Amino acid sequence: MIRSLLLSLLTLFGGAGIAAAAEPAPGAIHFGAVGSGYGQQVGTQLIAIAHIKGFIQAEVGDAVKLDFNYFTGTGPAINEAIANGQLDFAQYGSLPSIILRATGVGTKIIASGGGTNIYGVVRTGLPINSIKELKGHSVTIQKATILHWSLLETLKANGLTERDITILDLKTADQLAALASGSADAEFGTASVLPLRDQGLVKVIYTSQRDDPRATGPSAFFVTDAFAAKYPETTQHVVNGFIKAAQWVAQPENREEALQIWAKSGVSYASLKEEYANEQLHDRLDPRLDDFFRGQYADGIDFAKQQKLTRKDVDLSQWVDPSYEAKALATLGLQNYWPNRDVNGAVVSN
Amino acid sequence: MLLPLILPLSVLLLWQIATAREWLAPQILPSPLTVFWTFVDLVTSGDIVEGLAISLRRISVGFAIGAAFGLSLGIAMGRSAKLEQYVGPSLRAIAQVPSLGWLPFLMLIFGIGETLNYVIIAKACFVPITINTAAGIRNIPVHYVEVAHVLRLRRSAMLFRLILPGALPTIFSGIRLALGHAWIAMVVVEMLADTAGVGYMMTWGRTLFQIDIVIVGMVVIGAIGFLMDGGLRWIERRLRRWAPVHA
Repeated sequence: MIRSLLLSLLTLFGGAGIAAAAEPAPGAIHFGAVGSGYGQQVGTQLIAIAHIKGFIQAEVGDAVKLDFNYFTGTGPAINEAIANGQLDFAQYGSLPSIILRATGVGTKIIASGGGTNIYGVVRTGLPINSIKELKGHSVTIQKATILHWSLLETLKANGLTERDITILDLKTADQLAALASGSADAEFGTASVLPLRDQGLVKVIYTSQRDDPRATGPSAFFVTDAFAAKYPETTQHVVNGFIKAAQWVAQPENREEALQIWAKSGVSYASLKEEYANEQLHDRLDPRLDDFFRGQYADGIDFAKQQKLTRKDVDLSQWVDPSYEAKALATLGLQNYWPNRDVNGAVVSN
Repeated sequence: MLLPLILPLSVLLLWQIATAREWLAPQILPSPLTVFWTFVDLVTSGDIVEGLAISLRRISVGFAIGAAFGLSLGIAMGRSAKLEQYVGPSLRAIAQVPSLGWLPFLMLIFGIGETLNYVIIAKACFVPITINTAAGIRNIPVHYVEVAHVLRLRRSAMLFRLILPGALPTIFSGIRLALGHAWIAMVVVEMLADTAGVGYMMTWGRTLFQIDIVIVGMVVIGAIGFLMDGGLRWIERRLRRWAPVHA
């Protein structure tokens, strides 16, 4: 009796920043994101900043245990964990999340996770220097991911279709083997392909940020319907922490520290530096659910349908819930911190 | 007659109850009926037939290569104690490394393609066949061999009349074991390093979070494996028709 009284007092004072909460706090909150598998338990995205810098912990109070999981199995593994009820929040790429949504598992999009640069690389020695010249060659990607989507978008922009190339569907580690052994001529991947270039195995012929920002892989931050329904206030606190992390990353003086945090994941510091070269993290890791974000997700949903990755339709307007983010931006006075972008990524207002 | 059906039918019943009562989310455990209709879809669209044709070709080629090498080396090892001393320990050490452990290495050597599939499947068959064949031959009762020597049988007669028939049961358990290993190796290699076949279809089902496709793959692989094993037993019985019932 005394013990539980003490505990609840502790909870009350521990969460100094929290207004008298009407809802009981959850004992633990489980987060999921993509990990690289060879470093520490940390990823290379906004949620990793919110995790390591303690932005979410500060919002929900120290009594709530936060559990961060970085999945090397990427999207499919995160989907399984959400469906199993092992995760309450997740940040990951658009395609797997669309696939999960189409199966009827309840999630809400509560913030954008920002874009991942996508690189097109070709084995050194091959006379291929542009996307158009990929015609007749084999390209390895992992299908049903943002890489698959980005590749086909880029082909389309260059007047090609998937029938003009041979797609070899492999996991990241096996893609390297396929390139090294000559089974594949080209690969579409994330910054994980850069070390290959540094070893002289491949050359970069395309990067989405430089050549076609619309094909830069989108990601989002999700909450499960079950968690949001049970803990709406806690969900708000988590989103506040997420937005604070985005604001922290956006400041140029924190850039170096952010890269150092992400480098703990095992992705090399040099690759990360190049990933964001000539760019403000403020622009790339924009957490807002604006027209650019919605356009990319709508594209992803169409793509999934065309490619028969989903059996049921996904209604984006029912899926995106901007209310938490709007409230967080208002609370933090950040309504105008990020500019509004139109569907093509052009800034329309400040 | 009905005894072997009790377990699968109970599992089916439990599965039906579990989905009807939603013990697990339908996305994780689809109902038996959903799986059945997915199976029908996959058959009518031709996807599964195409995948199976590819997988069965891989099994046949890989198994034929592995069995040919395995039988030859097994017979040689069973006949020559010296060879057994040279090769046996290395072979048993190799057998300890599962096919999956060889995959990253072989992938770099052979690339991603049919050669890799054949090599992995052949390797999976080779080891159990070699070890069982050698053991079967060594365990032929010494007095049989002595009689053969007394009768001055030629080498070929000795091999086909005494050694192979005598070692047949052990060789066949090796072959049946090898076929099982071949299936496992094929599913693994298709799931990890290929873009066609039944194993790939299952990985694809997982990626799309359509677990019914994965279950169809499991059932199909199980059913075909069962039929193949039955076929081998039948062949073994035919080959052993000469043997007295108690042997």
